[in-house]
Order: sequence, then C-alpha cells, then structure tokens
Amino acid sequence: MSGAANFGSQSRRELPARMGLAGWGAAAGLVTGLPVGALMGYQGMLADRGIGAIPGWGPFVLYATAAGAAIGLVVAYRPRGLAVAASGGVLIGLLGWLFFWLTLDRVLRGQTPTWSILAAAEAYPELVADLLHGGLTGAVVHGLFSRRARRSRSESAPPESEQLARVVIVGGGFGGLSAAKRFERLALRGAAIDVTLISDSNFLLFTPMLAEVASGALEPSHISAPVRAAVVHTRFRHGAVEDIDTDGRTVSLIAGSAPAERIPYDHLVLAVGSVPHFLDLPGVQAHGYTLKDLNDAILLRNHVIGLLERADHMEPDPRERERLLTFVVAGGGFAGAEAVAELFDLTHGVLHYFPGIGPDEPRFVLVHSRDRILPELSAELGAYALGRLRARGIEFRLGVRVAEASAQDVLLSDGERIPTRTFVWTAGNRPGPLVATLDGEHAGNGALVTDSALRAARLERVWAVGDCAQIPDVDLDGVPFPPTAQHALRQGKVVADNIAAVLGGRTPAAFRFRTLGLLVALGHRTAAAEIRGHRFSGLAAWLLWRGIYLAKLPGIEKRLRVLLDWVLDLAFPRDIVLTTRYPTESTTPARPAAPARPARPTRSAPDGQSR
Amino acid sequence: MTSPSLVRPAAAGAAAGMAGGAVFGAAMASLGTLPTVASIVRSDSVAVGLAVHMGIAATVGAGFGLFVANQHVRRSETLFWGLIYGGFWWFLGPLTMLPLVLGKPLAWDLANAQALLPSLIGHLFYGATTALVFVALRRDTGGGPRPRLGTALRGVAAGLTVAALLYLGFDRMAGIPLGWLFLVGTLAGLGYPLLFGPRREGSGPAAIRGTAYGFLCWIVAGLTLPPLLRDGALNWSREAAASAVDRLPAYLLLGAGIALVFTWLGGLARWLLVDDVRMLRVESPGARGLRATGHGALAGLTGGLVFSVVMVLVDALPQVARLVGAQAPGAGLVVHLVIAQIIGVSYAVLFRRRSFDLASGIGWGVSYGFLWWVLGGLTLLPVLAGGEPQWNAAGVAAAFPSLVGHLAYGAALGAVYYQLEARANPWWITRSEFEAERIVALRDQTLGSAPALWGLTALIALTIPVLISG
Repeated sequence: MSGAANFGSQSRRELPARMGLAGWGAAAGLVTGLPVGALMGYQGMLADRGIGAIPGWGPFVLYATAAGAAIGLVVAYRPRGLAVAASGGVLIGLLGWLFFWLTLDRVLRGQTPTWSILAAAEAYPELVADLLHGGLTGAVVHGLFSRRARRSRSESAPPESEQLARVVIVGGGFGGLSAAKRFERLALRGAAIDVTLISDSNFLLFTPMLAEVASGALEPSHISAPVRAAVVHTRFRHGAVEDIDTDGRTVSLIAGSAPAERIPYDHLVLAVGSVPHFLDLPGVQAHGYTLKDLNDAILLRNHVIGLLERADHMEPDPRERERLLTFVVAGGGFAGAEAVAELFDLTHGVLHYFPGIGPDEPRFVLVHSRDRILPELSAELGAYALGRLRARGIEFRLGVRVAEASAQDVLLSDGERIPTRTFVWTAGNRPGPLVATLDGEHAGNGALVTDSALRAARLERVWAVGDCAQIPDVDLDGVPFPPTAQHALRQGKVVADNIAAVLGGRTPAAFRFRTLGLLVALGHRTAAAEIRGHRFSGLAAWLLWRGIYLAKLPGIEKRLRVLLDWVLDLAFPRDIVLTTRYPTESTTPARPAAPARPARPTRSAPDGQSR
Repeated sequence: MTSPSLVRPAAAGAAAGMAGGAVFGAAMASLGTLPTVASIVRSDSVAVGLAVHMGIAATVGAGFGLFVANQHVRRSETLFWGLIYGGFWWFLGPLTMLPLVLGKPLAWDLANAQALLPSLIGHLFYGATTALVFVALRRDTGGGPRPRLGTALRGVAAGLTVAALLYLGFDRMAGIPLGWLFLVGTLAGLGYPLLFGPRREGSGPAAIRGTAYGFLCWIVAGLTLPPLLRDGALNWSREAAASAVDRLPAYLLLGAGIALVFTWLGGLARWLLVDDVRMLRVESPGARGLRATGHGALAGLTGGLVFSVVMVLVDALPQVARLVGAQAPGAGLVVHLVIAQIIGVSYAVLFRRRSFDLASGIGWGVSYGFLWWVLGGLTLLPVLAGGEPQWNAAGVAAAFPSLVGHLAYGAALGAVYYQLEARANPWWITRSEFEAERIVALRDQTLGSAPALWGLTALIALTIPVLISG
C-alpha cells in the first residue's frame, strides 16, 4: 500500500487464507471441545442431546467445530491480543449458544425456536460450556497465530516494504486521482503496491464549474478538492516533474527551492492533462486570458471588475471606453460558449453597481473557426445555443479565426479588428509539455500514443491517461477517445487495474467506454445537454446540468458549499470585490511568452471540449 | 528462575487477593457458606474454611497480578478486569472445579447457578476489591492523569443530569418511583471519574463502560447495601436479586448516561475553554462522518434483517407497528428496519474508528445491542406503544426473545460496520509514522479495557436467566 506505515499483518486476507484461518480455528475448536465435551459427557449432560440416530455428543462436536471455525475467522493475531482473542471467543460462544442451541438445535428437532426464558433455562448448561469453550478456543487460536506470525517474521528475509511495486502517478487531475483511488482499493485487496502521486497543484479542480468561478457565482476553493483528502492512504508529493528517465525508471521532482529529487518507479502513470495551445499566433499568448485553472478564473474575474470600475467614471475617451467594455472570446466549444455566457451574466449582474455604464454598452463577441458552435453536440442543440446567446445580444463571428492579438484589440482572419481589453482564448489545447520530452510515439497534437490497454507506445512500463494520451477505441477501429473528464476518470481506474494485472502476471484489459452525455451551461437558467441520444435544452437542461455536476463534484463538503453558493446567488447580487491590487495585476494575463513550468494537469480538450 | 519483573506483580496481586478475599470471606461468613469451602479439605470448620478461602484468594490474586502485568492494563482499566476475573472464577470454581473436587455433578444447570448466585456476587466483589487494592499497591502502573475537583464536579453534574432525565421520563410520566436516583446518581457520578479518571475517550466505548459501571452500581447500591443497612446482614439470594431486578434497567441506563454525559461535558469544556487547538479534535466530524453514517445505516439494516427472524417467529412485529398507530406485521417490519438503521447510524457516530478487528467490531456491536435492549426493548418500545417500561422480573422474562434479537442485531451491526469501515478507510494503513503512533495509542487505549467490557456484557446477559427464571 502507499502508506508510510502499514500494519502488514492486518491486511485483508484472500479467500484461501481465510479458509486456512477457519480450518485452524475448527481444529482448535475441536481440540478445546474435547475436554469440555468429555466433561459434559462424563456428567451425563449430553445424554438427551442426541438427534435421531446422532448420539448425544454429536451436536456438541458439530457445534465445537463450527464455533472454532468462526473464532478462527474472527480472531487473528494481535501483538497484545490474548485478552481480545479470549473475549472474542467468549462472545462467539455467547452468539453460538443463541444460534446453535436456542435456534438450530430446536429446528433440527422439529421445533419452532421461541428464545424464551424457559428455553434459555433449559439450555443453560450449554451456555456455560459454550462460554468456556469459546474463551479457551480464542486463547488457543491466538497462541497458534502468534506462533505462526513470529515464525514468519523470523524466516521471511526482506521486509514487506521492499517487496512492493513502486507506482508513480504524475498529475492530480481526474485521471491521476482516479488511478490513485483505484490503487488504494486494490491495495486493500492485497495488491503489493506503493503509490506516489505527484502534482504541482495539491487539489483536484472541477473544471466544469470553472466558468462560474470566473463569473463570481462560485467561490474558487469550493470547486477544488484537496488531493490529500481524496486519497488519504496515498503518498502525495507537491511539486513538478522536470524530466523522466525511462531507461533508469526515475522521475525528477522539483519541489520548492529544494534540489531536484529523483524518484524511482516500477510503473509510471502519466496524467498530466493539457495546457493552452496558442498556435504561435502573434500576441495571443501574451494578451489572451485562458480558463484552465483557478488562477485564470480569478484573474479574469478581477480583470473584468477592474475594467468596469475604470469605465464607470474614469474613462472619457470613447474609443478606450469601447475597448474596456468589449469582451472577446475565441473558441466556440464548451469552454468558449460557457465563458462568454458567464462573462455576460457577470457583467450584467453587477452593472447596477456602475451607474456610469449604460446597459447596452458592454459588448460580447465569440469568434469561432467553424460555421456552428458546440460541434460536439447535435446541430439542433448547437443552433439552439447560438440562438439563445444571440438573443441576449452576444455577437458571433463564425468561420473566422483569430489572427493576432494585442493589448488594444484582436485581429481576425477576415481582417476585422475588434478593439478590446479582454480577450479570452479557449480555442486550442495541447498535452502538457512533459509529454513532449519523452521518446514515445506522439500524435499530431503531441499526445502520447498508447495501445488500447493504456500502455505508452515504445516506452517500457509507462502508461498514459487523460488529455495527454491518445487512446484508440477498439470498438471504433482505433478512433481515439475524446479527451473528456468522464473518459479520464474511467481511464484512471482501468490503468490501475491493468498495472495490478501486469504485476500479478495477468494480461491487461483494453479500455472500453461510451460517452455518457455532454452538457453545456449557457448562462442564466439555460443549458443544452445530450445524454445517451436524448436532447435537453433550456431550464430543464440547466437543472440537469446543475444536478449532475453537483453530484459529480468530489466530496460532500464541496457539494454543500457549492449548493450554498447557488442558493445565496438567488438572493444576493454577485460580489464585486477586487481581490488583486489595481490596476497592474488585474489588467494583464501576466503570462510569460513560453511555458516555464511543466503542465498543470487540467482536463479541457482541444477546442474547448472540456466535458 | 523466577523473573523479578513477575515477582512484584504476583506479590502485589497476592496481597490484593488477600484484601479481596477478606471482603468475600466476610460476606461468606455472613451468608454462612465458609464450611462449604472447608469441605475441600474434608472439614466443616468455619476457621478452616476461612483459611482455605484466604489461601485460594491469595493464589488467585497472584494470577490476577500476573495477568494485569502481562496485558499492560492501565490503572483506570483494572477494575473491569477484576470484575471479569472474579466472574470467570465463579464459573471455574464453584460451578466447575469445586463439584469435581467434591465428586459431585457439575453445577452448570440453571438451578445450581441460581443457588450459587450469592457466590457470583461474592466473586464479583472479590474481583473488584482485588483490582482496586492492586492499583493502590502498584502506583507505578501506567495510567492517565488523576481526577481533579473539576472532574469530580463534572461527574456529579453528569449523575444529576441523567437522574433528572430518568426521573422526568419515567417517574413523572410513567409512574415508576425513581426519586432515589438523585442520591444514587450523585454518588455514582462522583465515583465514575474517581474510578476511571478524566481521560478522553470515544462516546461509544464510554457508553459501554458506563453500562458495566451501572451493573456494578446495581450490585453495590441495589442489591447489597439495602438489606445490609436495613437488616444488618447480606441477602444475595435469588429471590432478593429477582426483586432488585426492578431497578436494574434504571441502574444500567444511569451508568451509560453518566459515562456519556461525562464524556460530552468534557468535550464541551475543552471546546469552550481550551485555546490550544492541539488539545482539540484534529478531524472535523463532517470530514468522514457522512460516509460513516451511510455505513452505519447499511450495517444497521443488515442487523435489522437478522433481528427480523426473531421478530417474525415470536410475533413481535404488531407491537412494533403500534409505534406508528398500525397493527399489520408488514408495517411493523418497516418500522423495525427503519429503527434498526437509525440505531446503526448512531453506532457509526459513537463507534467510528473504534473497531480494530472483527472481534472488536462484534464486541462493541453485541455490547451496544445489549444497551439497546435495555433502552429500547425494556423501556422505549413499551412506553411509546402506550404502556409502561418493563422494569420488573416478569417484563424482563417476557422480553428475553428481544434480548436474543438485540444481541444478534448488535453482532451483525458491529461485524458489518467493521468490514465496511475497513474496506473504505482501514485504520492500519497510515501515511506517516506519527499517525501510526497515534492510532496505535488509540487502539491500545480502546482495547485496553474493551475485552473486559465485552465479557461483562456477556456476563450480565447470561445472568439475566439466573435472576428471573423460575
């Protein structure tokens, strides 16, 4: 198991071992039953206990054996366990008396059990005998197992910890955390594994609700679940993996200012997610806001509120005022549609605080390279979403791409230049840069190609799941699975099972899964959903969206907090408190020109397919 | 060669056994049973009987000293071990070995057990006295902090609170005379921290400890002192015990209540007055409590299904159905299973992370099932169905099938809950040595006296037929 301390003798025993315990217990029960039964027989207590052709001592022998087996199963070796073992035996004796002599014996004699005080009085000698037998058997079983445990400790050469297979998971997103949870379950079933989870964020971010954080509807920490709370028995290392040595089977961990630490592994699971891909478009990385992690959402919210503050009184220039109140989102996938809808809700939800801004002044533009938004959904739902968003006044530029961005405006591929201070980029993602450093086979988007069992191609003992992997669907002739959270969750479980299978000398299974459904929130009380071919839209879909994602949110505490946020949102306006220093921090994405750190494990897909 | 480490506890145990033997011997002299002991050496002299008795008491006491030293029993836990040790020797001595030595049949049948009831009480006094004197002699024995005035006052407050609750619930409402509970509650509340110390423990184990403490209080204050004060002589006969059974449920509930309220008041005081968060609970109740609640409901449902077999065969479901104004057995079954789940949830709340193996799961479960037989089967069920608490020998006898069901329910509840907890969040796997040390300390503390408590629960349960049958 992945814990630093494991009381090995307590581990769950497999069926054969349990049968062995029962067998030894039955033998001990028989041995201790002999003197007790002999005493009873000698005293004539068993004379009238025969059933049919079975002599009087027969039922007691049967009882002693069965009770011994039960005591063997219940009472295992404990360092200070003689008293516990004997007491456990006495309790089993008491329960055995209730079950055997007050119940089963009556049934075997063709009587209906009454469990009355008279029946108890009649069977009182058996009660005394059973308690005595139980206590003795418990003590004998304890003696047997403590002797065996001592012998096994002295004979077994290496300590248990040295025999555990070392599994390192890189990435604390849906895939990585799901794998860690599954490993915990497998370890409880006896798998000899030592799991280390490495992530540069110490929480699991529930990305479907990230846009609501950006709009101020939810508190940032409420959609994040601490990794340490989610996998309590897994060793967690907070830090970034710098590189991977697949020959030496080590990963290099950077944690804080400490020198790099090499962590060895026997099997490596890569679940590093994806990062925004800016397609080398001029100015896009420097001036575009992204929506991949909590910091992005907080930054974007503060930026929007800051712009509203500026536009309210301080900006006399009409051109600059237009820039301040124009919000451009690139990408018409799930992330883009939700982002523009939530920005719209945020702005108009707090506009009453800013009397200097007219209700028609804020302008929202969504730029999408295809001819319809939300291509993952059916054409009808895509058209529905487009219609609802357009009806609110959101503008769409379909069939064009962003060509360039600056602090002043955004240039589109058709030559249109939109003046804006807010440009949100959701139109491209790529696997975390750590993946690119590996020698394995890479897909066109840079993802690590795996086989259907999630093993990375051309890499020994390396597995990959989630957005950073391209996994063929064997049921669809090798078409890659879409990079969604629901797939990553299940891939995490399968990769853990497959590693355990390989460690156990078995063949790993292919990953198979059919998408359950897709849901997209479109702002105020509106959503679109497609679940197993059934389409929903409007308020019903919105309720479905909230219900399903609330249920999927990890941890009851977070569910309650989000639910509370939503309830409060019904009664109170959104907060306009700026949590960053104005104006420097709130008006720039503050992103370096190139990624300076390994990928944060995130779950969004290319073109904003974040489900 | 005898190890010096064994000589001291054996000697202390022998001395303590002599003290216990003196108490038991005085009782035997009062009851006139010393000649029976003398018959072991073919004599009928009282003096010879006392000498033999004291010799046996010293020998058995030495065994107790060795047992306590071997098990590393703490000071505050020794009393219950003494009680169970005394009870064990009742089975081994008067019921088994003495008849064999005298060439008589084993005294394992109920009639002999009833005749030897005074001996059982005497053995329990012997065990308790031996334990207390052993603790006094072995002050170097490990244990928690000694009680202070505040702790004693907390105990008195707990005793008075529970006495008031029982009085308001069953004296004023059901007409059972319980005015005496205030005096007994005060003394029992004062005695609880003095005997067991102010240490922190879980509410569930505390309730079981309190139930056993209530039984001890009943023996002392309900069975021994009244005839002693009234007539100047002991009366531990079956008839006297049967008449004192009327007060046994009240004593058991009083003990359990004192332990619970004492524990809760301690927690409240810490929460209000302690400003060092290190002294408070590390884990918030909501962190894992909800999962535990689900496990408790599932385990309670399993136990309820086991209990249902008894309920159906003794036709008790219509009585349960009356709780909701119905009479149909089906309605009774539904109500019964709902109650089983609610109790299962309470078990999860009280005993979460207190089972360290299947045996301890069953031990806590059986003990909790017994407590609920007293609280539910004898008390709440008849009251809520429009009757009175069955706090008398006839009522206890009639409720014996219910006792069987409650014990089976508790066993299933404890076993299933332990398995669920071990599957989801096993105590034996930790992330650090620090956590491992903390859990080992908790396990040692919890299991330090737990086996004695489970054994005492079994002893009380099997004493019921002795008290009320015939």
